[in-house]
Amino acid sequence: MLKPSRLDYFELAKEAKRLDPASCTRTIRLAILGDCATQHLATIVRVLFHRIGVNVILHEAEYDTIEIEAFDPSSALHEFKAEFIVLLNSSEKAKVRFYDHGEDKSDFAAQTVAKLASIWDALAAQGAKYIIQSTYVLPHERMFGNYDNKVPTSLQGVVQHINGGLIAQARNRKDVLINDVDYLASYVGRKHWFDEKLWALAKSPCALELLPVLAQNIVDVVVASLGFGVKCIVLDLDNTLWGGVIGDDGLDGIRLGHLGDGEAFHELQLFLREMKRRGIVLAVCSKNDPETARRPFRDHPDMVLREEDIAVFVANWDNKVDNIRTIQSTLNIDFSSMVFLDDNPFERSIVRRFLPDVMVPELPEDPAGYVKALSELNLFETTTHSEVDQQRTGLYRDQARREVDRLSFSNLEDYLRSLEMKAVRSRFDAFNLPRIAQLIQRSNQFNLTTRRYSEAECQAFMEDRDTAFPFWVALKDKFGDSGLILVAICRLAADAVQIDSFLMSCRVLQRGVEQLAMNEIVAVARARGARRVTGTYVPTAKNAMVRDFYKTFGFRKLSERADGMTEWEVLVDEYVPAFVHIELVEPVA
Amino acid sequence: MDKEQQIREKLNVIFRNIFDDETLQIYDTMSAADVENWDSLTHINLIVAIEKGFKISMTTKEVQALSNVGELVRLVVRKLP
Repeated sequence: MLKPSRLDYFELAKEAKRLDPASCTRTIRLAILGDCATQHLATIVRVLFHRIGVNVILHEAEYDTIEIEAFDPSSALHEFKAEFIVLLNSSEKAKVRFYDHGEDKSDFAAQTVAKLASIWDALAAQGAKYIIQSTYVLPHERMFGNYDNKVPTSLQGVVQHINGGLIAQARNRKDVLINDVDYLASYVGRKHWFDEKLWALAKSPCALELLPVLAQNIVDVVVASLGFGVKCIVLDLDNTLWGGVIGDDGLDGIRLGHLGDGEAFHELQLFLREMKRRGIVLAVCSKNDPETARRPFRDHPDMVLREEDIAVFVANWDNKVDNIRTIQSTLNIDFSSMVFLDDNPFERSIVRRFLPDVMVPELPEDPAGYVKALSELNLFETTTHSEVDQQRTGLYRDQARREVDRLSFSNLEDYLRSLEMKAVRSRFDAFNLPRIAQLIQRSNQFNLTTRRYSEAECQAFMEDRDTAFPFWVALKDKFGDSGLILVAICRLAADAVQIDSFLMSCRVLQRGVEQLAMNEIVAVARARGARRVTGTYVPTAKNAMVRDFYKTFGFRKLSERADGMTEWEVLVDEYVPAFVHIELVEPVA
Repeated sequence: MDKEQQIREKLNVIFRNIFDDETLQIYDTMSAADVENWDSLTHINLIVAIEKGFKISMTTKEVQALSNVGELVRLVVRKLP
């Protein structure tokens, strides 16, 4: 979903009166706790969520009651059972405590961080899935001028120390996400961010008209944790990746690097290469002859991006809508996880019109503003990051090669055999927890129940050897290593093994991995002496492809609710193991 | 139309917008007690909208001293160049 670049506070406040929860496809429980006033903010947060189909059941704590809500077991927050808790800490309050702290301020920052960390612990113990902690906005005051930075106990020094401490602590905790308010304030200018009169009148954390910026940032973090995120950037070439038209201007005529306005394109390419390194897949969609389009990638000395950085390269004279569809089906990802960058307003509008789920940011006329325009939209929010992210382009390139190879086989069995597939399966392990949690957050289509367990919850499953059997499967073949691509979480009851979650990356559809995993689950049930294996299908907007998943394995449907949720069961004794062309190998220690 | 009347009309537009009521009609003795939804939250919205609408800035003290619409009109008149 693309955010409008300007959000008007008063329009949003008006919209708040016309919200229709029934129109939403999803509900979340969110609490906002602040040492400043949060009511105006909460209103805007609700509206922004509503715009993307999320209904918020909101708990607003009373003004400045963070500690009571966190530590008092009889607090309303305990009762409320929030999935998300937003903690908003104001610099104004920090300043007051700083001034009151006495002569020796050397322990002030560490104390503040420790206090907040203890609040996180208390909130986590209440069952909050995610705690969204604000950073402190650097205040205006400098007691020493520029020298403030050199004095660790100055106000500037202390606030920076606190922010650094919060971030360092949050890095060690999967359940704490950062709402970088200081970044927002710096971006719009702290002079505009703080509104001293509104603080005096109403303890508002910032100027009223900037509340939407703060609210949007909170929404961005929550939405990313729900599994929505950009996976792919589709790039136009001429006048987007370089200046000029390669077909007309030739290799030495296009502007890149130090030629003309080439610096701006160079900067965009550096940004994109970094996005690729962080796990966003790059694709090309250009109206060009294929050889002409590839030439700069091969031969231009100032190109930052090279052919191997591009997972899918589509250059032809067809319309871009069809070409983006091709890229989408090759990568097997949602349109809503794609961003399309094109300097041409005509192409942008046609893609917007026919592929409304694809995000198509407006780009400024001057390429010098491209990176800024993209940064402002905060399109690349995420709540997890793992090593595998960095290899994703390679994974998708392998996938594109498999597609070509598959077409040369007349039957599927021969093709599957030819792949020489090898799989590793293992109980959840500490090393793979980030990747497991990430797959759980990101898988939408091949996902039976779409329960978005956090990394901390996955760890709890891992450690619960008595009543949980959570495992993952990784796959490789002659084309490459697909990595960890399937996650299943089973609950062990006396008589039955219950499949709580079963999800798989769509990169490995129709390869036999899900069959291998189901065989494993039934084998575990048999080994435990359980009589039955049960499973649930919870329909979402995106997982229709697995509606009959259990049926294909011979499960019986036990019940079906009006909303389409179904319950299934198979007896261990009647289950016929599926044949798979995958060799099981031991994990490399 | 005199200047004060113009200000009243413009203020009325802002009030209607903030209270989301196209029939609302302001008058001098009107105060928060007379308008549904005129709570402390909406009051802040109103003040900021008036400052923005008239491109003026009221001080904290001036805002705190306001007790009805008539005083608000006089304050805006005084603030305008």
